Amino acid sequence: MRAAVARRREWSAVRIVPTITTLILAMLSVLPLRFPNYAAVAPLLALAGLYYWTIYRPEFLPPSFVFLCGFVLDLLSGGPLGVSSLLFLLTRVVVLPQRRFFVDRLFPFVWGGFTLLAAGAIAFLWVLGSMLTGAMLDMRAASLQWVLTVACFPAVAYLLMRVQRAFVPSS
Amino acid sequence: MRLAVPVKMLSQRFALPVLVFASVVMVVLGKADTLLFERVRVVFADLVSPVLGIVSQPVAAVDQLLDQVQGTFALSAENAQLRQDNARLVQWQQVAQGLTVENARLRELLNLAPDPSVSFVSTRVIANSGGSFVRSVLIDGGSREGIARGQAAMTGAGLVGRVTEVGDRAARVLLVTDLNSRVPVAVDGSRERAVLAGDNSDRPRLLYLPARTTVKVGDRLVSSGNGGIFPPGLPVGEVAAIEDGIVRVEPYAELSRLDYLRIVNYGLSGVLPQPVMPRAVKAPRGNREPTLREPTP
Repeated sequence: MRAAVARRREWSAVRIVPTITTLILAMLSVLPLRFPNYAAVAPLLALAGLYYWTIYRPEFLPPSFVFLCGFVLDLLSGGPLGVSSLLFLLTRVVVLPQRRFFVDRLFPFVWGGFTLLAAGAIAFLWVLGSMLTGAMLDMRAASLQWVLTVACFPAVAYLLMRVQRAFVPSS
Repeated sequence: MRLAVPVKMLSQRFALPVLVFASVVMVVLGKADTLLFERVRVVFADLVSPVLGIVSQPVAAVDQLLDQVQGTFALSAENAQLRQDNARLVQWQQVAQGLTVENARLRELLNLAPDPSVSFVSTRVIANSGGSFVRSVLIDGGSREGIARGQAAMTGAGLVGRVTEVGDRAARVLLVTDLNSRVPVAVDGSRERAVLAGDNSDRPRLLYLPARTTVKVGDRLVSSGNGGIFPPGLPVGEVAAIEDGIVRVEPYAELSRLDYLRIVNYGLSGVLPQPVMPRAVKAPRGNREPTLREPTP
């Protein structure tokens, strides 16, 4: 009985691992790296985290936590509040029905899926940003951001895979 | 217990649409009234600034290391350059000393009120804004250090931006390249006035130049002091290009590589509403004693 309670408690602690890792990724993406014009093209690391967990453990990253991650990212980056929450929730809506195509596939396939997702996400941000600011935002910066985001994905996925194997039980 | 299951199912079913709706509402509200969210941002910035301060420390360390390595390779070239600079600067020092004395005498003659005294706070940049929306940075100093809204943020080279949100120990600086940034500037020499307007690109534009302007590439721009946000004469940037009537300005400060910022308090309240104005040092008007003392020969 006591063991069952302990297991259950452990299980609930494990539930927040995806959220914590996504929040850490969000924080890493706002670090002031001193590359020229880095801020404008900083990769969407949190999006990579969200994509990973939505495919491999969606039950541990429910909509409320997805919303929270987006909210925190907007607060950190100083951007308009609600934009990242909206993007992340829509990402979940788009990715969740497709996850069975990805979950047992080889990594390049998953990466390819993320390439498409990131393109959609950055296009979404670009359109919304242009609407909110009333001016056409720099398209080259957006393209470079897409390239960087896609390029960062293998590293993020590898780290999250290690985290998943270490902490998150298979369902 | 039996009731809890349908409630849970209901909340699961509607959580997503409700949250999407909430996000859209936030975007719209934020567009209409940014003050509403400012408090939230400030409180959050205060909360995370210690964490960000620690996390950004290794980044700064690696940067310094790279700089050092680069510096070692360029030592002899840099030394020669510095010798030249030094010789030139010694000359300038002579000129400046002469001008300081002359300036003080003329001020005395004119009974001019002395400039308000200036205080500095040095802070470290702990977060860059990501994405294409805003150009701003988070710094690890707030009202505790005497930082207040509207104060100018500078590097040694020139103006970086102004403080827009202030918490207890963190504050946000809106860069001059941000879409919402407007800085009244003057062309040094001709005193033509204009407004430096950011558009999220690296080079902000000059707006409202006089119709028959004589501005040309290479002209130096300083803050004009109009609007009472910044004091006149702060170095801002230099005209980099004029294409199709659009004048682009290259800021003196290297905005993409900010590490330490100097937040400058000139005791100006300006057009920004300021609920708290800690340690605003204001010189009493009509004080006739010159601020700059004549150096004894």
